[in-house]
Amino acid sequence: MHNIDPISKLYYILFAIIIPIILPSFIVSVICVALSVLLLLAAKVIRKTLPVYSFVFLVLITVIVIQGLFRPGNETILFHLGPFAMHKEGLLFALTIVLRVTNIVSAFMLLVLTTKPSDLVESLVRRGMSPRIGYVIVSVFQIIPEMMSTMSTIMDAQRSRGMETEGKLLVRMKAFIPLLAPVVLGSLINTKERAMALEVRGFNSRNPKTYLNEEKTYSYSKWIQVAMLLVTIFAVAWRVFL
Amino acid sequence: MKKIVVDGLKYKYPLSEALALQDISFEIEEGEFIGIIGKNSVGKSTLCQALVGLVPHFYKGAYGGKVLVDGLEVRNHSIADISRKVGMVFQNPFTQVTGSKMTVYEEIAFGLENSGLPREEMRQRIDEVLRLMRIEHVKDHSPFDLSGGQMQRMAIASIMAMKPDILVLDEPTSQLDPAGSEEVFQAIQDFSQQGITVIMAEHKMEKIAQYCNRVLLLHEGRLVDFDTAEKIFSREDLKDYGVTAPVYTRVCRALGVKKQGCDGYPVTLEDAELALRRSFA
Ligand SMILES: Nc1ncnc2c1ncn2[C@@H]1O[C@H](COP(=O)(O)OP(=O)(O)OP(=O)(O)O)[C@@H](O)[C@H]1O
Ligand SMILES: [Mg+2]
Repeated sequence: MHNIDPISKLYYILFAIIIPIILPSFIVSVICVALSVLLLLAAKVIRKTLPVYSFVFLVLITVIVIQGLFRPGNETILFHLGPFAMHKEGLLFALTIVLRVTNIVSAFMLLVLTTKPSDLVESLVRRGMSPRIGYVIVSVFQIIPEMMSTMSTIMDAQRSRGMETEGKLLVRMKAFIPLLAPVVLGSLINTKERAMALEVRGFNSRNPKTYLNEEKTYSYSKWIQVAMLLVTIFAVAWRVFL
Repeated sequence: MKKIVVDGLKYKYPLSEALALQDISFEIEEGEFIGIIGKNSVGKSTLCQALVGLVPHFYKGAYGGKVLVDGLEVRNHSIADISRKVGMVFQNPFTQVTGSKMTVYEEIAFGLENSGLPREEMRQRIDEVLRLMRIEHVKDHSPFDLSGGQMQRMAIASIMAMKPDILVLDEPTSQLDPAGSEEVFQAIQDFSQQGITVIMAEHKMEKIAQYCNRVLLLHEGRLVDFDTAEKIFSREDLKDYGVTAPVYTRVCRALGVKKQGCDGYPVTLEDAELALRRSFA
């Protein structure tokens, strides 16, 4: 998984979104989710997906409950939840939403967890994305951890001056506010200086760029992409002719 | 050959009342090593930035006069064009890290990629500057995980790798200890001896005196004097400009010992020793 080219993974996301739209049956959605989960397992990143899945399911449970109870067109009562009745139609509808969302989230995680952002962006820049946009995306990934560490340095400094930074939420919020000014202001000044430093290193040069790293060649990307395209065409044909 | 010609340069930052640079004119020959000195906020950084086109292209603001670098008029060329001839190293090493590269090695490649250099040549140049700036051992580290001094060396290496004809440095050794600054000055001198024109704003007067061919003294946006270190540091009115001469000059001045064959006081340890031995022999 880690050795598959990022562009193929991007296509996979598209693929995972499109197929259940072309063939809106339960089975197809289930197969898509199962495929993504299998791939995540194969990539050995399934453990990192757990927090994301738990968060997503937390949200989805509310969807299930609300749809099951209140969806217009609810008729068949399945069981009672206190004074409220759960309906079959709402639950089925909620289930499709759950499958769709799980499907998209899984496909995205496959990309995010198995690709370095810089590799993805470099692939895109080589294919014609603006280097400026590429820079913004990669630097955000690099500079956010930097800002966090500035934040914790300042936090340490303030703690050493006796400011309370731990304990109740309110106390922590109070400690956080005076940090914002130096961190935000500092980042703004940094941004200006960094922009100057980029300029003098020819960032806005109109000459064609070269790359230090050779473009990685990924052996199967052609096949993977062709396979996905064939399945998609097949799905469209199925939908149209059957 | 005249490498830099500045003629009647005036500049005012947007939103500010006063001129940051007023009527500055001077010329620099190819291969010279020039020091820019003056107290805080007299316009040293602004002048440096005027040589690479950040003034006026980056800031905008009101601009008058002419700056020619290697025949290119700065006002009429983009910063990217000028950056092929003039490299600039800034004061703060941290903000010069691009933030889009994972290792020091790739970080140095950034400018080279932008100028479209072939890969082989890139690798060769990067290895060379890593060695020159003595940061080979951290070449695979993240640029943000370096010490201030290493970051500063990386910033200088990144610019040196672009092989500019003219190298502008704005207080490039602020984060380095004395031994580290000495090393960096030596490396810059190597470049200078290869024929590269070097312009450096710096507060360490002993270093300026030791390495620079000529010194440019600025005060409140005006050029006060542009001459050899001996002449500049022997000026009676140096204190009025908030500049303290190197300690050797001050000692020799107090003792009234002048440098042989010139009207000024010695500015380096070697010259001072020579002059003192001779006069007390
Ligand atoms: N971006 C800016 N906008 C407005 N005014 C500025 C800007 N940058 C600098 N100045 C002003 O221009 C003047 C010259 O500043 P400059 O940074 O060139 O001084 P300096 O000699 O480099 O000082 P230092 O020794 O502190 O580095 C100062 O009065 C400063 O306040
Ligand atoms: Mg300055």
